[in-house]
Amino acid sequence: MADQVGPKKRRGVLGVFRDIVYGLSSHEMTRHAVRTRASMEHLFILITMGDLLGVPILPPYYSLRLLPYVTPQIAGWKRRMLRERDVTDVLG
Amino acid sequence: MSLRTVFDSHPERRYIMFGGKGGLGKTTLSATTAVWLASQGKRVLVFSVDPQASLSDIFQRDIFGKGPVPIVQNLWAQEVDADRRIKDYQEEIRKKILDMYGFERVPEEIDNYIAAASAEPAMEESAIFDAVVDIIVQGDYDYYIYDLVPLGHALYYLSMAKVYDEWINKITKLREDMRQYDQVAATMRREQTIEEDRILSELTYIKERINASSSILTDRARTAFFFVVVPEEMIILDTVKAAALFSKFDVPISGYIVNRVLPAELDRGNIPAYLRNRITMQQKYLQEITTTFKQDVRAYVPEMERDVTGLPMIERLAQRLFTDDKGAA
Repeated sequence: MADQVGPKKRRGVLGVFRDIVYGLSSHEMTRHAVRTRASMEHLFILITMGDLLGVPILPPYYSLRLLPYVTPQIAGWKRRMLRERDVTDVLG
Repeated sequence: MSLRTVFDSHPERRYIMFGGKGGLGKTTLSATTAVWLASQGKRVLVFSVDPQASLSDIFQRDIFGKGPVPIVQNLWAQEVDADRRIKDYQEEIRKKILDMYGFERVPEEIDNYIAAASAEPAMEESAIFDAVVDIIVQGDYDYYIYDLVPLGHALYYLSMAKVYDEWINKITKLREDMRQYDQVAATMRREQTIEEDRILSELTYIKERINASSSILTDRARTAFFFVVVPEEMIILDTVKAAALFSKFDVPISGYIVNRVLPAELDRGNIPAYLRNRITMQQKYLQEITTTFKQDVRAYVPEMERDVTGLPMIERLAQRLFTDDKGAA
């Protein structure tokens, strides 16, 4: 029993330590990468599904092929594209 | 070089197209060439994607939207129903969305977008050329004779194909950049693998399809494109312009076929002034055709005593055009 708990505990401690190091060092970078990725995703949807906002770019025959893959993101993307912007956006 | 010699000396040119303004006899020449090649033992598919296609009329069989229909031995004819194809395609996309996310029904906004897409003018051209790729990829014929949609569509598609290709390259690049960010985030989180980007594979597929459809029109080794002209001033002028545009898009022009030539034997004895005037006019423009297109004129097709519909009439014309070689230049 003790043999089984031992390594698990060690892994747990190591795991927590790793998480702390990750939180201190890489978390911010990861967040940045994920956010940049999300912005690019919105740019991608704009290029391929621009028709939804009245900006036709890619011909519809081909953009329809991509539509199923971006379906869940469409609502969020439209909100972001069409929301009003003010000076705080620039500051943010 | 006669039309027959062109086929005999270039057996590798398997995609045959007749282009020209509406009503000049593209369908007649497509059907005639198809019947002749089939009689030579070649497996031939003559097809059209024009919503106002007339292959049904010339073969006097209803073949619209029915896939390849056998006409005579070695010859099949097919008329693609582009509208049906677009509807099926839209349905396929809806079904994919339902399957992927287990929705009960497609979200209204998405559904509206799918429905509205069919109203786009580019939709039909893309669907048509995609259908052509399907036909050529799936079949195993020796010759594909494409009863072409009016020239404008083909030119529009060719010019768009270049733009689409550039766009797809840019979009693919963006998608690849996105993938790098995924990779960075995954590495930092110590995740082993990231999901395959299915959008990236779809983009590659789209690129291949666009390239395949435009290369059918521009493949110098395998494509033969013939312009159909009639001896009239406006048609000659239009053909010269169209030929220049087609050359710009690298469409290999294999020659010109002069249709509706009044038989020389008509110009004998006492003939009505109307007919004499027509003959004189044609002679003038035939001269002009010779000086304009020179040795690229492949055949002079006589005006027949009645319209060319039904197999016996097509076979007669094929005989005159390919076997008697009377029509040859």
